[in-house]
Amino acid sequence: MNQAADVVEIAALSLRVALSATVIACAAGLPVGVWLGLTRLRGRRGLLLALNVALAFPTVVIGLMLYLLLARRGPLGMLGALFTWQAIVVAEVVLAFPIAAALAAAAVEATDPRVMRTALTLGAGPLRAGWAVAREARAGLAAASVVAFGRVLSEVGAALIVGGNILHQTRTLTTAIALATSQGNFSLAVALGLVLLALALGVNAIIQMLQGRGNA
Amino acid sequence: MLEARGLRQHAGGRQVLAVDELVIATGDRIAVVGPNGAGKSTLLRILALLERPAAGTLALDGVRLDREPARRAARRRITLVDQRPFLFRGTVQANVAYGLRARGMPAREAEPRALDALAQLEMREFAGRDSRALSEGEAQRVAVARALATAPDVLLLDEPVSGADRAAQRALYAAIDAARRARPLAVGVASHQLEDAYRWADRILALHEGAVSPVTPENLFRVDLAGGGGLKRVTLGSVGVDVPTERVGPATLAIPPDEIILSTSAPHTSARNVLEGRIVRLAEQGAAMRVTIDGGGIELVALITRRSYEEMGLAVGSLVFAAFKSVAVRVF
Repeated sequence: MNQAADVVEIAALSLRVALSATVIACAAGLPVGVWLGLTRLRGRRGLLLALNVALAFPTVVIGLMLYLLLARRGPLGMLGALFTWQAIVVAEVVLAFPIAAALAAAAVEATDPRVMRTALTLGAGPLRAGWAVAREARAGLAAASVVAFGRVLSEVGAALIVGGNILHQTRTLTTAIALATSQGNFSLAVALGLVLLALALGVNAIIQMLQGRGNA
Repeated sequence: MLEARGLRQHAGGRQVLAVDELVIATGDRIAVVGPNGAGKSTLLRILALLERPAAGTLALDGVRLDREPARRAARRRITLVDQRPFLFRGTVQANVAYGLRARGMPAREAEPRALDALAQLEMREFAGRDSRALSEGEAQRVAVARALATAPDVLLLDEPVSGADRAAQRALYAAIDAARRARPLAVGVASHQLEDAYRWADRILALHEGAVSPVTPENLFRVDLAGGGGLKRVTLGSVGVDVPTERVGPATLAIPPDEIILSTSAPHTSARNVLEGRIVRLAEQGAAMRVTIDGGGIELVALITRRSYEEMGLAVGSLVFAAFKSVAVRVF
């Protein structure tokens, strides 16, 4: 396989991993964030604090913990998931979930308090009222998704540890850049870097466009 | 029937509401009046079950509303229109249909009912408009249509005519009256536009600094009472008024509108207090007339019979003398 084909394959894998992880993390994280932004339950402050701490968690530590879980002799060793692209997705979900949840909670907290009040007084149950708030906060929720995607796409530490940077299997743009740089192959590293930037900008532009259409 | 007992609410370390008892029966029209900050909105939010009071109980048709399931069920029968109502993204019609959809009504049924509710408020042509492109007064009427569409048992309105012109105000009250004729409906309106409240409501609940006030919030004056017992002379605007009180320091004087006697010439009475001024507003209140007089730098509201009003030939701009006895002035 020539180098151009390799780059395309690596970029495609990166995109697949990042999109899968973002979708899963947002599907779980955004509703949790909306709930946290709305609930007045005791313990809410503690949960928000835990999310904010998780935001600052070093990615290599998350990679290491997952490695120990998934390693052949680890508790989940029988899955044989270590050094697969799915393992990278799991690591990135762990990273992106707190981002999606914390930013969604912040977006909901910044929403006009009249939204919830209006939905409730018109007879909406808590789920429908929460949905009304989420709809009004959708710019903030879209931003949370964009940030989560950016984080996942550019992540290198966890992907390297649980993916192993195996060509044709688990080599992503970031791990490939790290390898090329360490080998002194700077032209390839720069080229891969440009592809990564283009992907990040492209996906963000698409999300912004969709968001603009939603607000119209 | 909605009953509230012993309601207390606190904000920022101070008590903002203290209402010992309030009963809103089917068909009631209650106006909650008072100056800004009197606690009107807080009371309405508590009655609408959107805010829990620090103390006190609420009951709807005898069922206590302490636990969330009961409160949730009651919210489907009690609805509040905010002073600055929030309209959801989307069309006006979708907004008005929201409460019906929340009750599980399919869109094909909810949408025509939303149109009917809009028509009651003379807003049918707004159905397809973007909710964010409305003026404040239009948004208020859409919010009232949205509330009426849910066919509530208790409709609470917080300053419903604050952003509306006179025609819109009439449409709004007419729609509420039409809804009341169609089905049993209790209405509570918070307002600082007293003339409207008096003209429209059957009962008045006056709030002053969070507490139910023994007097309506007009002819209230903040004064600083000097020491020394007996009759005290205080100045309201540029008018001296004699008040019998032992109180010293800051106080509120209230002159009940029905204790004021109007005449078109200087009166020869035992009343110690006389104010000369011109009529600035006239409003009907049942069989009586509310006459607002501007004189000596203050406004005074007097309540007189329609017959006296006609006999004196009063009109806006007429010069009148307002007299009241010192003992009629309440100090609190």
